[in-house]
Amino acid sequence: MNGGADAGAGDREALEAVRAVVLKPSETLDEERFPRIAGYDFNSGADNLLGLLASMASTGFQASNLGDAVTVVNQMLDWRLSHEKPGGDCDEEELDPAYRESVKCKIFLGFTSNLVSSGIRDIIRFLVQHRMVDVLVTTAGGIEEDLIKCLAPTYKGDFSLPGALLRSKGLNRIGNLLVPNDNYCKFENWIMPLLDQMLLEQSTENVIWTPSKVISRLGKEINDESSYLYWSYKNGIPVFCPALTDGSLGDMLYCHSVHNPGLLIDIVQDIRAMNGEAVHASPRKTGIMVLGGGLPKHHICNANMLRNGADYAVYINTAQEFDGSDSGAQPDEAVSWGKIKGSAKAIKVHCDATIAFPLLVAATFARKLQQKTNAASR
Amino acid sequence: MSDEEHHFESKADAGASKTYPQQAGTIRKNGYIVIKARPCKVVEVSTSKTGKHGHAKCHFVGIDIFTAKKLEDIVPSSHNCDVPHVTRTDYQLIDISEDGFVSLLTENGNTKDDLRLPTDDSLLTQQTNKRISLDVAILMQIKEGFAEGKDLVVSVMSAMGEEQICALKDIGPR
Repeated sequence: MNGGADAGAGDREALEAVRAVVLKPSETLDEERFPRIAGYDFNSGADNLLGLLASMASTGFQASNLGDAVTVVNQMLDWRLSHEKPGGDCDEEELDPAYRESVKCKIFLGFTSNLVSSGIRDIIRFLVQHRMVDVLVTTAGGIEEDLIKCLAPTYKGDFSLPGALLRSKGLNRIGNLLVPNDNYCKFENWIMPLLDQMLLEQSTENVIWTPSKVISRLGKEINDESSYLYWSYKNGIPVFCPALTDGSLGDMLYCHSVHNPGLLIDIVQDIRAMNGEAVHASPRKTGIMVLGGGLPKHHICNANMLRNGADYAVYINTAQEFDGSDSGAQPDEAVSWGKIKGSAKAIKVHCDATIAFPLLVAATFARKLQQKTNAASR
Repeated sequence: MSDEEHHFESKADAGASKTYPQQAGTIRKNGYIVIKARPCKVVEVSTSKTGKHGHAKCHFVGIDIFTAKKLEDIVPSSHNCDVPHVTRTDYQLIDISEDGFVSLLTENGNTKDDLRLPTDDSLLTQQTNKRISLDVAILMQIKEGFAEGKDLVVSVMSAMGEEQICALKDIGPR
């Protein structure tokens, strides 16, 4: 029937129009820039750590960010001055290929004190023990919790333990960790004679103490291989902590100064040293690795601003940017300040560092050390 | 050991200690305490329970009983502090010498001549205004009262080997 045929043509046109809107032809994606999503296949084995880590990059969401962070850190570790063309104003020595092969990226590692209370302290110790990082920045708790762990342990508790009950039992809660008051009493007994000694050296040997010098001394005195501060002292890796007074260390300094006054701690000398680490880093590239937000994150980024920005940056934290906080600010905000170069390789992993950092280290620092050890033992 | 060899005669036995130990947590306001080797009267005590700062602690604010300077100390509650023996003895004022030494009559009829009146200079260098005005008042009263021939009795405070006139009593005109 003629009417039916016309109606059929009209329907087909309408259908074509709808199809064109709903099934708009897509651009083909270049898989170099947009890799396919694929997760780990456990048929390959349940104890294949490196295989699992390698699959992160293609799993999506924060696993992909972690995968990208692994890539950035490996680039940080693989870079040599020999990869760059020599600048026009190079000295003779700087042109020497052997020298250029020896110049590596300078890595700044920052972390908040809660991570030192957690088991991440042992991963930091591994990095420092093997001289895999160049400068550390943390808060007061990041110093004392490491020292206290050598005197008495921290325990696993629960976020929901009631505060008043814990107080009555002399237990301090850090998240789902517990630190007994007694640990801090042991710390007091250990540190007070050292503060007396430091005051004595200040008055008789004209020593000018700074937070990093105090920390180095404490690392020397604790003399315990489980402490990252001990290894920092041993390997000459500076640890900066401009807010040294904001923790149990500050309480100790307060009580000590009332009882035996006069100890001075110079933060100006330390900002010279910290910023100097960035300013005088060249011809080395610099890399930022910061766990958590707050002071350590800003202090490291700010120092790198003075050399017109870091070349690599990895943030691992759970802070968000909607409140304008520096803690939550993403690497691109730091680019606007000149703290990270516009051309830098930078990534933020939105994840609790207690999960992300061990995985990151496994796929980068630890893996490279293992490869080096395997090669050496052949 | 003869009595004449004693530099001063105090009621306390010369061999007794000048301080005695007391647990920090038991020392109260208005008691006495030794801070940085000075005998002090406690004007403020506060305690911090055991915590991140370590052992439970007592914060003491004391006033040096001789110089009126404010001194502070923080001591773990379980530690012992030194508490000074503080005694007050009354003596009748007999004479004031030209260089400011006073001659006092002791109980057994001897004279005690080793104390000075606080000089104007020493009062001006003291820190608390309240105390300066007190000492200046005492100084003035002693000088005027003595000049007028009044019978004066002075109170002498003694602690840790140091003595000072701290008050004046007027027992009436002669």
